[in-house]
Amino acid sequence: MNLEVKNLTVGFGDKTILDNNSHTFSEGKITMILGPNGCGKTTFIRSVVKKFAKTGNLSYIPQEIYGNIGLTVEDTVALGRYNAKKFLSDQTEEDVRHINEAIFLMQLEDKRRQIFDTLSGGEKQRCMAARAVCQDAEWFIMDEPASSLDIVHSKFILDTASDLVRNNGKSFIVVMHDINAAAAYGDEFVLMRDGHIVKVCSELTADLLQDVFGTPFGSVKTDSGQTVFYAS
Amino acid sequence: MLMQSHMQEHNPGKDRLLIKFTVAAIMLICVMAVSCCLGSSDTSLSDVIKFFTGRSDELTKTTLTIITRIRIPRMITAALVGGALASVGCIMQGVFRNPMADPSVLGISSGAALGAAVAIVTGLNGVILFEAFTGAYIGAIIGAVITWLMVFTVAASNGRYDMSSTLLAGVAISSIMSALITVLMTLHLDDMERVYMWMLGTFSSSTVDKTKIMVVIIALMMPVLFFIAPRIDVMKLGKEAAMTLGVNQTVTLAVAMGACSCLLAFCVANSGIIGFVGLIIPHIVSYFKVTKMRSRLVLSFMTGAIFMVLCDTVCKTIVAPGELAIGAVTSLIGAPYFLFLLMGSRVRAGKERSSL
Repeated sequence: MNLEVKNLTVGFGDKTILDNNSHTFSEGKITMILGPNGCGKTTFIRSVVKKFAKTGNLSYIPQEIYGNIGLTVEDTVALGRYNAKKFLSDQTEEDVRHINEAIFLMQLEDKRRQIFDTLSGGEKQRCMAARAVCQDAEWFIMDEPASSLDIVHSKFILDTASDLVRNNGKSFIVVMHDINAAAAYGDEFVLMRDGHIVKVCSELTADLLQDVFGTPFGSVKTDSGQTVFYAS
Repeated sequence: MLMQSHMQEHNPGKDRLLIKFTVAAIMLICVMAVSCCLGSSDTSLSDVIKFFTGRSDELTKTTLTIITRIRIPRMITAALVGGALASVGCIMQGVFRNPMADPSVLGISSGAALGAAVAIVTGLNGVILFEAFTGAYIGAIIGAVITWLMVFTVAASNGRYDMSSTLLAGVAISSIMSALITVLMTLHLDDMERVYMWMLGTFSSSTVDKTKIMVVIIALMMPVLFFIAPRIDVMKLGKEAAMTLGVNQTVTLAVAMGACSCLLAFCVANSGIIGFVGLIIPHIVSYFKVTKMRSRLVLSFMTGAIFMVLCDTVCKTIVAPGELAIGAVTSLIGAPYFLFLLMGSRVRAGKERSSL
């Protein structure tokens, strides 16, 4: 299922955050959303979530992780299996299977009984990711999934996303700040500035980035053929 | 094989939960039995045993009246009010994701008390139903709802609602409500004693009819809270993530706050402002490592009931034939225990790591 957004305009009070944006997110891809701070990326994906939440086809990992959840890791992950239509929240065998798989995938097995709030920032983010995986939705929408992860774990999250796309037919929309990580893992790039989508492309260039971020960019090619961007 | 071992890992957890419920139930029965035997009048243990073993024909008429009209209604009211206050605290701490959230902290108790006080002094305290459902209950509900609306309006006035401003708004509005009660009392000195009893809280005026009203409201509202409890867990993921799981935050919040306000208003109209119960009981439940909202709610209810019956027993015996105010006893027993838990840092386990 593609996610089609048409003429999306969002404002708070007299301030316009998003101005008449249209985009179709196509399935089976990792779509990276890039842009400077405050350009409306988070508002944009939140609007996508609001629009398609009822289809039951997507899971969302917010950037902001709340404190005082007070549940064990296992119970937090199990929230992904919550079914609003069921009065008693007994887990079926299928639920248990999904929960165990998600915990295994995010390498949280030795943390199962630990209270969420006592985890480190990176573990919290992996726990939230496991919660989304266990939801078993077609679409994953992630806001800065790597913001509190070290380089090893942020690579791990993006590798896992790649695997889910290639092997399980999942689709991703990811807001990223790390341009090089986005360039390495993204199939499609949505570049935003001041509440507008300015460019949709399948490959990043230094000129495009300069245009969006308003600061000069350079790029070098590594020995392995990867392009690395830097603000010059 | 791997999955099998996980399944087995789960079971002991569930069994322990059952053990916790059973222990709480047994304790509740014991505490209630003790409470039934003690009081300002001389009713011996053997009389109470005779009553409960179906030999009430051996008792004098006075003794029988004391047991059925005073002791039992009072004990049941204390248990129900304690359970309801603890449940409200449990739900509110979950909804606001804050260990400080409590009806008395947020001013809802004071608001309900003000509503009830207004009903009393303006003479609107007539009987509406069942010989005990008076205008004070309606006044308390209106007071609680108005306080909620005030707290939310102030807290959300800068666009997005956040917890610290809700708590701050609640503290400020709480003192406004308390001040208004004081003003009201000063203006109506003749009703002062009755209103003053509210401020302190007491179960001494419990009657069979008043107990019936508590039974009805709890039978109506607790199932609502029980039903929405798992949704409150889901809401901890954030508004949009909850939405993808079919949970509408605004509706859940409104239902939770509506049910909580009703329970609270009835507790306040029935027995006054009894602080601290809603705050500490959920932390005691956390201490016993019960984390999911639905289990927490049930265990909070039972623990709150035990705690309140215990406090009421202390109240009516320690200065007999006089009585202590229940609010003073809950604070005197509850606060030191709460501090003890806080030192053991278990209470903090449910809290985000502090940067300090």
